Amino acid sequence: MEGDFDAVVVGGGHAGIEAALALARLGCSTLLVTQSIDSIGRMSCNPAIGGIAKGNLVREIDALGGQMARLIDASMIQFRLLNRSRGPAVQAPRAQADKALYALLARQALESQDNLSLFSDTVTDLLPGDDGKAAGVLTARGNRIRCRAVVLTTGTFMEGRLFIGEWSAPGGRLGEPAAEGLGANLRRRGFTVGRMKTGTPARGRARSLDTSRMERQEPDREALPFSFSGESVPRPSVPCWITYTNERTHAVIRENLHRSPLYSGRIVGRGPRYCPSIEDKVVRFPERLRHQVFVEPEGLDTDEVYFNGVSSSLPEDVQEKFLRTLPGLEHLEIARPGYAVEYDYLDPTQLLPSLMSKAVEGLFVAGQTNGTSGYEEAAAQGILAGINAGQYLRGRPPLVLSRAEAYIGVMVDDLVTRGTEDPYRLFTSRAEYRLSLRHDTADARLVPRGREVGLQTAAAEERLARKLRGLEEVRHLLRTRRVTTEDGAALAVIARHVGQSFEQALRDPRVLIGHLSEREPDLASRPAEWRALVETEVKYAGYIERQDALVGRFRGLEDRRIPGDVNWDTVPGLSSEAREKLRRIRPVSVGQASRVPGVRPPDIAVLLVHMGRKR
Amino acid sequence: MSSSADDPIAALATPAASSALAVIRVSGAGSLELLRPLVGSRWDPASAAGHTIHRCVLVDGKEPVDEVLVAVYRSPRSYTGEDGAEIFCHGSLPVITRLLSTLGRGGFRPAGPGEFTQRAFLNGRMGLTQAEAVNEIVQARTDRARGLALARLAGAIEDRVRRARDSLADLKAGLEVLIDYPDEEQEAGPLIDLAGLREAREALQSLVASYRQGRVFQEGVAVALAGATNCGKSRLFNLLLRQDRAIVSDTHGTTRDWLEATVSLGGIPVRLIDTAGLRPSTDPLESEGIRRTREVMASADIVVYLVDGTRGESGTDGSALAEAGSAVPVIKAWNKTDLAGCRPAPEEFVAISAATGSGREELERRICEAALGGPPKDSTEPLVDSDRQRDLLVRAVAALDRFEAAHAQGTAADLLSVDLADCLDALGEISGAVTSAEILDRMFARFCVGK
Repeated sequence: MEGDFDAVVVGGGHAGIEAALALARLGCSTLLVTQSIDSIGRMSCNPAIGGIAKGNLVREIDALGGQMARLIDASMIQFRLLNRSRGPAVQAPRAQADKALYALLARQALESQDNLSLFSDTVTDLLPGDDGKAAGVLTARGNRIRCRAVVLTTGTFMEGRLFIGEWSAPGGRLGEPAAEGLGANLRRRGFTVGRMKTGTPARGRARSLDTSRMERQEPDREALPFSFSGESVPRPSVPCWITYTNERTHAVIRENLHRSPLYSGRIVGRGPRYCPSIEDKVVRFPERLRHQVFVEPEGLDTDEVYFNGVSSSLPEDVQEKFLRTLPGLEHLEIARPGYAVEYDYLDPTQLLPSLMSKAVEGLFVAGQTNGTSGYEEAAAQGILAGINAGQYLRGRPPLVLSRAEAYIGVMVDDLVTRGTEDPYRLFTSRAEYRLSLRHDTADARLVPRGREVGLQTAAAEERLARKLRGLEEVRHLLRTRRVTTEDGAALAVIARHVGQSFEQALRDPRVLIGHLSEREPDLASRPAEWRALVETEVKYAGYIERQDALVGRFRGLEDRRIPGDVNWDTVPGLSSEAREKLRRIRPVSVGQASRVPGVRPPDIAVLLVHMGRKR
Repeated sequence: MSSSADDPIAALATPAASSALAVIRVSGAGSLELLRPLVGSRWDPASAAGHTIHRCVLVDGKEPVDEVLVAVYRSPRSYTGEDGAEIFCHGSLPVITRLLSTLGRGGFRPAGPGEFTQRAFLNGRMGLTQAEAVNEIVQARTDRARGLALARLAGAIEDRVRRARDSLADLKAGLEVLIDYPDEEQEAGPLIDLAGLREAREALQSLVASYRQGRVFQEGVAVALAGATNCGKSRLFNLLLRQDRAIVSDTHGTTRDWLEATVSLGGIPVRLIDTAGLRPSTDPLESEGIRRTREVMASADIVVYLVDGTRGESGTDGSALAEAGSAVPVIKAWNKTDLAGCRPAPEEFVAISAATGSGREELERRICEAALGGPPKDSTEPLVDSDRQRDLLVRAVAALDRFEAAHAQGTAADLLSVDLADCLDALGEISGAVTSAEILDRMFARFCVGK
């Protein structure tokens, strides 16, 4: 192919979109190769973006200069802030998306990006250079595309295979062909390639449902934009519906288990533990009398709905039979059946924390290809892989985010250090320091990092500076404004705090920033998000302080860098298991080494001695 | 304890018990400079050469604490490989305690368990096997008598901790499900199993209490005998000691300073301290004795306060009891029950006769109970006797207490989870689970302080 590129991104899903945009925005000439340009930005599974920990990822992507937050802000049809009652540290935004609109906006973002070309073809192999570095890709139609960096984001398409009951055929998504050849070639080139499985439920026609037999799930009244850019537009807001499986549902499923490819042994790939199919739920939790099912619209311009909670690869007649036992679904018309998909993934411990391959310099891998699951997880790896491909091309050091700095850092460290046995999903509980990783602080944490690498704009930096100044003013106001006798008389909840500062009063669990705002117009005039942020700081001060102390100790070992050329055979005293694991994982810091499975405390002690006490 | 730090640390290198001499070890960057203001003479430790020894008086502010010998070590030729010193002081517990607190105020952090050896290892002064051998030798010398039993009991402690840990880990998992799956229907039943939490807390707290008993058996307690002049303290001292050590006479104020001797009561090494009698006095020598009595009473673990039953409780007794009672456990004894003029002992007093020995057993029983913080534990119960385990258990219990208090206040799950994580982190270090951080510290925490 004529006109070679700096970088080629393989795949147009959520990881590929972010990787390609990041590369192009960093000034690298980039080609995105996908089997179907019409499928760019498709949501293969549930029609929602965000959720616990995932919503944080979306905001982190935005803070670095990525696209996902803007796409969902402009395509959401319902917003909810989750975990309102479980504390600000674990709150997260989630939005239902208009799937078609989301994909259209994604494609438009790519098409309108300078330095970025799109091309429809199937990549089947890597073209290594004479020096062993990435040098291009080979396609099914025989195109040899030269470049210096390749980002693989193949999703479920690499040697993908679909399963519905006894039926099975190659495919990456129902109705779309698999990308055949690439997985086999990567195996041949010595990569560790495994199989994973995931599944999706049936889609039904809304007109066939009786919503009067379901519970209505109301959206939040006010939508909070995911993006820190402040450019969001008003969006329509529609409800979702909740219904439940019952004993009859479970009986139908049990009677037909032998027809499930999962239970007949035809699927070898591991499925996600956190999101089991309905057949798994029924088998593993026989004592549960019902399972919740969310009925979610797939968009405003379609009559299709998504049944969240009942993914299945049972035969189509069984799917229809068990779904029709649910209240409100008695006359269900299925538009697309649920199915399982099994696909190739690359063991992510073959990557450095920059997401670059240890074996092939210039090859980056992101998304489901690394064994993860979820749009947000994919996009977050995509932007990091794109940034680091850009850094690599420009001869700059990689951007590595730490576990104490971003959920992206937690996820990538988990992947490259420990690998994953089943599709990896981010949870807040994977983060040791989640009080520091709140969604509303993503800009403060990561805009400077995005700016450093040149992806984030000066405008974003100014916006952040303005916000930080504003927060400081709110803090100052809380410290200096005292609760007066009039305040106490007007508002019973603060009566006991007369004479104290607003900050002291706010430490009382019963006093909310809203109470104080009632009494102080200057406070009331500040943006709600700022007030909530400072409120969290004040109420959580003791906990945050204790966590910061832990973060300090954590950094001690993270900052002890291990040179890339260390020869583990010359480090005396290491256990042979540790030696083997360290050689394979190639940790970049003592901290990362300490998290490698099989490396024990004495090995770390030996390592520290070997490295001397350089600090 | 920070893994990579070389901040100045100090710790007692010899057993925390009375002996002729004790050694306090200090180490770390700037440790010799920090010693400078604590030296009460012109000698400057900061300019002293390595491997030299110096005599000086260590001072707390302007007040002399003890006359000591300071052996100076210079990096890298020292045990830890850092600048440091060994301070040879007199081996009385009040002196040791005072010196350690003086060093603490002077900028030295108390060393964590095994921290000196950890530093020696990190600085390449010692191989790993050698470091482990140090630990073994130390263990063998102090615990030889308990040998195998100790190892078995250590397993029993781990078992108990693991049980508590497992139930708390379940609780944590429940909490995390609440957080990570907010939309999903939860199983019936209480969201947070407080009964399970309390049961785990009790188990851990009982292990903490066992540490105290273990320590008491190993290190003993200081028991001060106090009371007005001529109430029979010295006679009681001799009675408990079963020898005539204190000068016994009927003249008021015979014991003008304090006397001490060690006796074993119920297997507990008890350092018995006979003090000067309390009364208003103008004699400067006696006043000094009385001042020191008050000091001894305040620093003792237990005070046995003796009242002369023939005279009854005086104003002096009342104020002394009030003062001592606020600081340490006080056992009140009603002496001279053998005399005809003795009034009946009030209920809270142990009735004794130091002259005839009646009531002695009851008094001894009360002393043991006060020392152990309750009746002695069944000897088959495991006793925690490592500082490290005790500190971890205390940390775990404190975290659970914070959890319960926060839960009662209606605190949100994200914070409750922090407390639970703290607790599990601490327990994980005992039951052997690998925690993500503090790897080095854990490895070395098995070592005795200062070795």
